[in-house]
Amino acid sequence: MSPRKLAICLRLFVHRSRLTQIGLILGLWFVGDGLARLTHLPVPGGIIGMLILLGLIASDRISLSSTRRGANWFLAEMLLFFVPACLAVLAHRELFGLTGLKILTVILAGTLSVMLTTALVVETFYRWKLREEIAP
Amino acid sequence: MSMLAPVWTNGFAQALFWSVLTIGFYLAAKRLYRRWTYWWISPLVLAPALLIAAVSIMHTGYPDYIRGTSWLVALLGPATVAFAVPIYEQRALIKSYWPILMIGVVAGSVTAMLTAWALANALGLDRTLELSLLPRSISTPFAMAVSGDIGGLPDLTALFVLITGVFGAAAGEVLLAKLPIRSTLARGALFGTGAHAAGTAKAHEIGREEGSIAGLVMVLMGLCNVLAAPVLAYCLNP
Repeated sequence: MSPRKLAICLRLFVHRSRLTQIGLILGLWFVGDGLARLTHLPVPGGIIGMLILLGLIASDRISLSSTRRGANWFLAEMLLFFVPACLAVLAHRELFGLTGLKILTVILAGTLSVMLTTALVVETFYRWKLREEIAP
Repeated sequence: MSMLAPVWTNGFAQALFWSVLTIGFYLAAKRLYRRWTYWWISPLVLAPALLIAAVSIMHTGYPDYIRGTSWLVALLGPATVAFAVPIYEQRALIKSYWPILMIGVVAGSVTAMLTAWALANALGLDRTLELSLLPRSISTPFAMAVSGDIGGLPDLTALFVLITGVFGAAAGEVLLAKLPIRSTLARGALFGTGAHAAGTAKAHEIGREEGSIAGLVMVLMGLCNVLAAPVLAYCLNP
């Protein structure tokens, strides 16, 4: 088999195999995490890995089809990765009771205001921009 | 029970047991939630509730549980890497509207910090709790960094971030049904600023475009807050 043919076979394999793509994403995360540790940047390793992957895709070094299946798996199962962290409530018994109720109030009211503000601000600017484009 | 003791004290066996149970409960909740969409069946509510019950029944402490399952939480790292794909797919939309998204991110960050600060003061929460509450709207790794910077407790912040995400993902859906928000831009941004990764997962269920905008906004919000943290730390503790 010629090297060219081998490269095409390999590419097809990566396009089809979700497991290989998951491995590729894991590898990029290791690289990102290592870089974050080495440089002491206050940026999480995952974000650095994401920027590297964006760069690789944008510069055509990795095609979207070599990562899409793996990436979709991570995004679809993301809630699973939050489940164990939820059990941290067990380590903070002081949160049950009045203090907990107060904290819950702060979080619920705060989150609603954040969502309302963001959605209304973005929607207003978006409509304003649309009007500008239609009638300059 | 005494015959099982040597197996049970084996760290690997324990880790395997709790990991399998966690994944099992998650998959079960996910399947049930596909049929009946009550909020209490959603995987982020039902699975942890079942696990808390299991941990209590087995007399296992939280440290033992998390030692065995922390690898699952670590997978949030590669999940963040995966966001590169939907963000790249939506590059045209992002290119034409990034100034609006930035305005949304800044508005969301300011609201998050101001409401946390004002409400915590109004309710008389102590200073450590107040500072731990400030970065709760950004995704966990960012939030823990900011919390440490400004003098909060990172592990408490992680918990607050989680409550924000669980509540925000559910509340966002209700808000969208009530509000006259039509653009995918605003619909995605709402989840990205309000409920970080949990909200982004929800936004992905609503639509691919909403999901990628939520993911991008979540990342921008985290970066924006990490960059603002030193200034904030100086203002809070001069």
